[in-house]
Amino acid sequence: MRRSDVRATLALVLALLSGLALAQGQPAAPPAPQGPPAPAATPQGAPAARTAPAPAAPAPAAPGAPAAQPAAGATPAAAQVAAEKADQKLFDEALQDYFGDKKESAARKLFAYVEGTPPTDENHPWAQYFLARCFIDLGLRHAGAVYLSKVARERANPQVLPRTLEALRTLILVPHDEVLIDEQVFGSLDLGFLPESVSDYANYEQGIVDLRVGNERWANTHFAKLDEESVEASRAKFALLVTRLRKLQGKEVPDEMIEDFLTLSKDDKLTLEARNEARLAVARLRYERKDFEGALKAYEMVQLPSLDPGRATLYLEEAWTRYNLGQLRAAMGLLTTLDAPSFRDQFLPDKYILRALVYRDLCHYLPAKRAAKELTRRYAESLDAIREREDLTLDDRLRRAASSHGSTKRAAKFLESLSLEIEFKARYAGGFGDRLFSQVSKLYDLAYAEGERVYRQRIKESVREEADKLLRAAEQVRLMEYEVGLKLYERIKRGAKLVQPEKETPIGPGQEAFRFDGEYWNDELRSYRVSLPSRCVEEGQL
Amino acid sequence: MRRLLLLLVCLVSVAARAQEELENPGVVLAVQDRTYRMNSELDIAFTVLPLDAFTKGIGGQISYTYHFSDSIAWQIGRFDYNYNVATGLRTQLQRDFGVNPTAFAQTNWIAGSDFMWTPIYGKFAWLNSSVAHFEIYGLLGLSVANQRISNDIAAGTTSTTFAPGLDFGIGWRFYISKTVSLRLEVTDNVLFSSRGVQNIMVLLLGVSFNFGSTE
Repeated sequence: MRRSDVRATLALVLALLSGLALAQGQPAAPPAPQGPPAPAATPQGAPAARTAPAPAAPAPAAPGAPAAQPAAGATPAAAQVAAEKADQKLFDEALQDYFGDKKESAARKLFAYVEGTPPTDENHPWAQYFLARCFIDLGLRHAGAVYLSKVARERANPQVLPRTLEALRTLILVPHDEVLIDEQVFGSLDLGFLPESVSDYANYEQGIVDLRVGNERWANTHFAKLDEESVEASRAKFALLVTRLRKLQGKEVPDEMIEDFLTLSKDDKLTLEARNEARLAVARLRYERKDFEGALKAYEMVQLPSLDPGRATLYLEEAWTRYNLGQLRAAMGLLTTLDAPSFRDQFLPDKYILRALVYRDLCHYLPAKRAAKELTRRYAESLDAIREREDLTLDDRLRRAASSHGSTKRAAKFLESLSLEIEFKARYAGGFGDRLFSQVSKLYDLAYAEGERVYRQRIKESVREEADKLLRAAEQVRLMEYEVGLKLYERIKRGAKLVQPEKETPIGPGQEAFRFDGEYWNDELRSYRVSLPSRCVEEGQL
Repeated sequence: MRRLLLLLVCLVSVAARAQEELENPGVVLAVQDRTYRMNSELDIAFTVLPLDAFTKGIGGQISYTYHFSDSIAWQIGRFDYNYNVATGLRTQLQRDFGVNPTAFAQTNWIAGSDFMWTPIYGKFAWLNSSVAHFEIYGLLGLSVANQRISNDIAAGTTSTTFAPGLDFGIGWRFYISKTVSLRLEVTDNVLFSSRGVQNIMVLLLGVSFNFGSTE
């Protein structure tokens, strides 16, 4: 059999199969990722294109692909028929371009189609969907999200909705417009009409929105609908626990809550990051209850991917725990970790205090004083800015610290991604044509302005929190300096002798020791051990 | 005067050290669990005997090593069988000067047992994206070689003989996984026979399989 015969037979078989699938009411299959749209139309108007594109290897007809219009002669008004014909041709060409990997041209044609047809047009939502896909493929994720959100909100064609929501779910994994996608789409969808693949996520999102506004009962009604085995169910449990924890506000944390976090930390359905969050929550709650042994166990449970430096807060918290357990040298090892280049820009005023405390406890008073003073030296500009009541958002260190976590971090990341996409956008000025390019520019200008407003609003709050943290640390430094100053000039009584050095844990048979010479290796960050003799003296017999 | 200067230099360095110790007390070690540990090792290797000017030995070696600890091991047995390839020099001697082919002694196989000491275990960064581990070891042991020698060069008769001796060497092990590692080794067999002392160098590149980790 010749190659062309094989192709023809294959195309025929696939067209028949797709027709059969439609007749049996099969769910819509995803569109062919590559290759042109389907060449053959089925009676119920399922396939994508009416005119056969006649490429080398025709792709199978996607059953759920955009519907073709009825035959030209069937429409009553001749003018309308002509207009529809023109539109249909444009739409077909756009799809051919899309599957032929000519995304810019496809986007231009799809935009023209969207502009030229009413929302009631059967292919209008498909055109919006494919336009969004073009944008996403071209690196303009936000523009893609805008069009996908339109499809999701308008819901003109139920066949497009599942794919649209799936695409939106992928977009929320990266920095995105939270109001546009999380709140206006997933947070407000009519859940009765959603396919199962996204209903869990929508329920979860709507529950989260309810939790944010403080309505736990409503959130629970959404969470109750989640499949127990789903990822969203585990995430919902985590969100509920965090909300309840916030409500406690300094009251005694019940044991069950810690147990619940512990259970979540072993839930394989959650991502490693979420499980680590649960472990950190267990550790922090145990620390608050002064169960330092338990807290240390929880910190040790935190798993990091290979060669991942981890988070500075994890090391600092573990260092405090070890300090409270009297493991001064281990705490010092963790403080060495925090000097690694990966954490050099982290805002950790506590680090200096803890180092000074360890030195002080081992009677190394000069290093203790120096470690404490290091904080005021390093953050001198920020402290000055606070004292002078300057605009703290202009202070580099404080701004960076405020943007490094929570909602401010998300807003900063979104703004950053918008800036990048605005740069990308300029590449397509020619390919998009004037109308589409000006539309995309307008869209990005608006998004950037709004993103910036949100970021400014959030950073204003969080920068104040960081400044408070710094001021408290600076206060501690002053106390430490005073205390160490007294100790420095304390007279040693006659007969006093150095305390017996603490027995150091020997290096075991299955262990290796690498002497640290200032070069940090990511795989060693949790393994530093400091050998630091005590200089404290015991009062002798007079 | 010189003594005074020397004393001054010593004092300055001691004072500087004391000052440094005062300001930055303590020694930092990165103490890690060993990622790779050997226990029972089976090694299959490709070997080359490169030193003989008349024949080059190309062969395969199989060995078994038992690791008592991370640094001490006993290569209980090794057997290296060689295929000897005539060099250009030997061909020329035979062709142009009529030397009898049996005049050239050649090593058929070498067997032995060694003590293995691994003092160095290290790691290196691969393109700053992954960490690879290696170790360097030394070998010292006993060898016996089976060689074909000429009984009577003129008559062209040969016989095989056993030459006992010592061997020592150095090797580099590169860990691929917990069970598989590569060995690159250079050993020298010092053999004693009626023909005097011989040095047979063996270059080895092998794959080792580790069974029953000590973890």
